[in-house]
Amino acid sequence: MLFKVCRLYCTAEADRQDLFQEIVVQLWRSYPAFRGDSTTGTWLYRIALNTAITGLRKRKRAIALASTDPDRLPAGLEDIPYNMEKEEQLKLLYSAISQLTEVEKALTMLYLEDKSYQEMEDILGISQNNLRVKMNRIKEKLRKSTQAFAYGIGKS
Amino acid sequence: MELENLKYIWYSLEVPRPDRDSGELVALLRRRSRGPVASMIRNLAGEAIALIIAYVPAILCFLLDFKGRLAAVSWLFLVLLAVFLAYYYRKYRLLREMQCPACQVRSNLSRQVATLKKYTGFYLLAGTLTIPVTYLIAYFIIRWRPGPAGSAFYYRLHPVAWWASPAFILVLLVPLTIGMYYANAWCIHKLYGRHIKKLQDLLFEMDAE
Repeated sequence: MLFKVCRLYCTAEADRQDLFQEIVVQLWRSYPAFRGDSTTGTWLYRIALNTAITGLRKRKRAIALASTDPDRLPAGLEDIPYNMEKEEQLKLLYSAISQLTEVEKALTMLYLEDKSYQEMEDILGISQNNLRVKMNRIKEKLRKSTQAFAYGIGKS
Repeated sequence: MELENLKYIWYSLEVPRPDRDSGELVALLRRRSRGPVASMIRNLAGEAIALIIAYVPAILCFLLDFKGRLAAVSWLFLVLLAVFLAYYYRKYRLLREMQCPACQVRSNLSRQVATLKKYTGFYLLAGTLTIPVTYLIAYFIIRWRPGPAGSAFYYRLHPVAWWASPAFILVLLVPLTIGMYYANAWCIHKLYGRHIKKLQDLLFEMDAE
């Protein structure tokens, strides 16, 4: 899960390693205070997403580059052993996700991880009604951008 | 392409991960954190240490040398050092309060915005007042605690020149304080303005329907 968060929020390998280290450090520091008020999964997601969203000052440039260039995909993606169709879909997904804001990325990640709206609320602190509205917008946004990328790739 | 259809790909996504043994994890934990708050704490500690290194020899020098006639200057530096250390301690406490990674993302963001505003407010107040207050403390310590009557230090300050009169000093401090306020406001905006704006935008986005 931590690797997926890093992959989603950072494009450059060095940035991903920094973010991974930062999340591990935060987990290590927060563990003594963990009282089991939430599930371990919720606690993990909170730390990972909090670190990714608020600890990105130095990585802003890399993200900005990614968000303006759909061809700039996470490094190493091509190494994942998938068939062509799956790989193409995954590339499209990452390209589309890179266009989203940091909050939208968090929502998309939780959605793809099959979290319920209750769990999303526990992790993010956004009301379920608001989450549903946002999720619909994100789906629409992703649909449009993946179509645009597919069209753009097909034309060139 | 529907997001729903991609869930199965996402689930089966095997991110290539390096095998980390416990030694590597320990090394990872020992590496310097590059998070913004950790960097700010490190910078603060560096500033405090530099200040101590600069002030302590000066304090000792004025206390032990000059046959104790300039001990007032030593007391002045000691007071200033104490004020600066209190200032750094307050900033450190605020920085420690800033993060709550195990909280909900929204409450962590609002906590960060609130603490960062408190931090920059304190920064602005302390930064604006440091020089005028230092000036006044220095003036009063040297002017009214000049050491034993008859000492060289005492006579050097008497009679008081027009430019060293309290009224002139006060008039001089007004534009200086105003200048310090604007210089600090600019500096704070430059250092933290973008980060605060980013956090506020994130909060706004989370709350907006």
